[in-house]
Amino acid sequence: MSARIVRGRIDRAGTLVSADAPLLRLQQRAGAGLEKPLALPHLARLVALAQRLQRDISRPLHAADDHSDVHALVRIIPDADGASLEISDWRTRPVAQPQAPPHGTPPAAAGGWSWECDARLRLIALRAGVEAPPPPAGWEGRSLSELFELQPDGDGHFAVLRALARQAPFEAQSARIDAAGGRAATTLSGDPLFDAAGGFTGFRGVAMPADSRREDASGRSLADPAFGSLPLSDPQFGRRIDGALRGPLSRIIATAETISGQFDGPIRADYARYAGDIAHAGRHLLGLVDDLADLQNIERPGFKAARDEIDLGDLARRAVGLLGMKAEEKGIRIDAPRTDDQAPAYGEFRRVLQVLLNLLGNAIRYSPENSLIWIRVDREDDRATVTVADQGQGISVDQQAVVFEKFERLGRTDSGGSGLGLYIARRLARAMDGDLVVDSAPGQGARFTLSLPARD
Amino acid sequence: MRDLLASPGTGLPSLPLSARLKEMADYLAAPGAARLTEEQRALALGIARRLVADVAARLDAAIDPATLWLDWIEGGLPGAERLAAPCFARAEEHRWREQSALRAAPPRIPSPEETAGADEADGMPAVDAPMTDIDRGYLALQIADRRRTDALGNPCIAVADLDADLFRALLLDIAAWRLVELGKAGAEAARLGDAVRAALAAQAGEAGIDAAAARWHRALEAEGALAEAAAATIARHDWPALIALAAAAHRRRYGEMALTLLTAETAALPSLLAPLRVDRMALAPLEASLTLLPGRTISGGGAADEDYAALLAARAERVAPPPDGEA
Repeated sequence: MSARIVRGRIDRAGTLVSADAPLLRLQQRAGAGLEKPLALPHLARLVALAQRLQRDISRPLHAADDHSDVHALVRIIPDADGASLEISDWRTRPVAQPQAPPHGTPPAAAGGWSWECDARLRLIALRAGVEAPPPPAGWEGRSLSELFELQPDGDGHFAVLRALARQAPFEAQSARIDAAGGRAATTLSGDPLFDAAGGFTGFRGVAMPADSRREDASGRSLADPAFGSLPLSDPQFGRRIDGALRGPLSRIIATAETISGQFDGPIRADYARYAGDIAHAGRHLLGLVDDLADLQNIERPGFKAARDEIDLGDLARRAVGLLGMKAEEKGIRIDAPRTDDQAPAYGEFRRVLQVLLNLLGNAIRYSPENSLIWIRVDREDDRATVTVADQGQGISVDQQAVVFEKFERLGRTDSGGSGLGLYIARRLARAMDGDLVVDSAPGQGARFTLSLPARD
Repeated sequence: MRDLLASPGTGLPSLPLSARLKEMADYLAAPGAARLTEEQRALALGIARRLVADVAARLDAAIDPATLWLDWIEGGLPGAERLAAPCFARAEEHRWREQSALRAAPPRIPSPEETAGADEADGMPAVDAPMTDIDRGYLALQIADRRRTDALGNPCIAVADLDADLFRALLLDIAAWRLVELGKAGAEAARLGDAVRAALAAQAGEAGIDAAAARWHRALEAEGALAEAAAATIARHDWPALIALAAAAHRRRYGEMALTLLTAETAALPSLLAPLRVDRMALAPLEASLTLLPGRTISGGGAADEDYAALLAARAERVAPPPDGEA
């Protein structure tokens, strides 16, 4: 984990007067530069908020340019002349657009063929892997169904036709083909292709010998009984819906926050409240999208978290910094680890912080007003631990058995969460060779303990 | 250039030093010009490698393309200057298409109502459904275009699309390398000579992307649908189809037209695409897409070495005081 801090300075008028290279590049890609108003809306709003409150605030920062999303943690320190920015954990990821070459689609394995067809299933490409027999001559322009002689499944359906109707991915389409070595059973899978106008243009996929189907499919199938037959069980669909929702939701939230915060001038109080409700609902939906994206990621076969050298004490203090204001709104005091409390461990910085934010967020959400939350770090043998304890209503033994289940909200129906947070948190902990456990009794609050491999 | 790089009495510089000095000379000749990015270099090198392997396979299946490439990489590619333009053009086209795909709008996902009961309702598209000449032309173009990527989706140059002179030169260079590798001449030379002639004859009979482009263009012209189709290719960001139409309209090769379009000043696009009769407004997505391509090379400006004297003379004429009596 890089502990590099990206710094910047804003004057009283909201002009960026100095910035380290990453921040300056982002500002420039947003069409501005030094000595120009801060052109990153989310950051500008946070700066305005910190200046208005005249106190330090730490928040997650989301920004984007035309080819990547940026996630970071920002601390804003206002003063009489403006504000200083300290941005840490700066992470970028490319914007995954569904039209992008389908990275998730396996290229033709050595023993298979890669193919592409147009919207009427006419083959426009057919190429053999290095160990595969050459494609039959004269494949050009022939129908996929003609060349491959598609076979119906047990219910008499054709996966490729269903996919054609839905313009969706498909797999496990059985077929037979005349190859150099004789008639061979093969299995087709493919992803839909779209042009810039959103029009369906065909499929691209692979054809694997039937006996290698299991191996090929292992990287693609994410069918999950919890999702049933929802297309969310499909990773391609998941990526598409993730990309399609995140942008609009972020814009809704940003606009609603602008209205709610009355940054552009006073409006009627009830309107501001409505806008606050919209922002709240938007954040909830965005959280759900994040959770589903996380879920798909961590349930991918072979998912493994990074092994950064981290300090659970430092991460706990960062989590408190991020959620401290939310706790203050309920009059909740957080007793965080002291600066010299350290618990060196191995784990992925970002993922551990995600787990801690989930635990602390839950504790704040379900704690009574004017209560206390403790966070302690410790070491037990070869394990480093961090415990988040609250004074909420607690969790019964029966509930403890299911609290880490997917979509489990212990009967709550408020809009506070998706029911995926603790499930994801435990999966993440275990992916880092750690664990997440709960200890609680009704009326006595709850103690969640994250343990990870300790380091010396 | 080489005589400038070799100091008297020291002999020719080594290949790495010579390459560096040449690069430096190129830089000094045009310090204001943008250099190739690592991505552009890597793409072009990969395209060249795949081309060499494909040509070698046509010449002699026993040639190990990895050994050949390693030798050529160490010693420098023979005919590098001939290869530069097609490899650069293909690499830039690939970058453009990749970038355009990344920026494309999310696809329209059919609503459940639209797909309800639609499962297989339409059945398998009819195999023998009649196709118009336009459809056939576009299908052939797509097939020719997809031959310009390998099985892993990497860009390459199809042998069928190669300029015959370049193909011949590559075949001869590879044949010469093969002869040296085998260490024998005579019968082997004759066999390779036959193989070169056979490969050239086979390539001459292949219809590449230029033929497909011309066929589609003719079909569209015959139906009076050229302008509409060209505008649609722009709206759909179907850049290979647009390049193909423009190339056919100008009677130029696809690769040349790709390079011309990709390096054109924005202001030059309307005249460049005038033969397609595309409405000026319809060009906007094309202009935007090209403008957004990072590291794009814009042609025009600057004078070549040999024009330097002419440039100075022209400048002198502009600044020279008028002769007496003409003021």
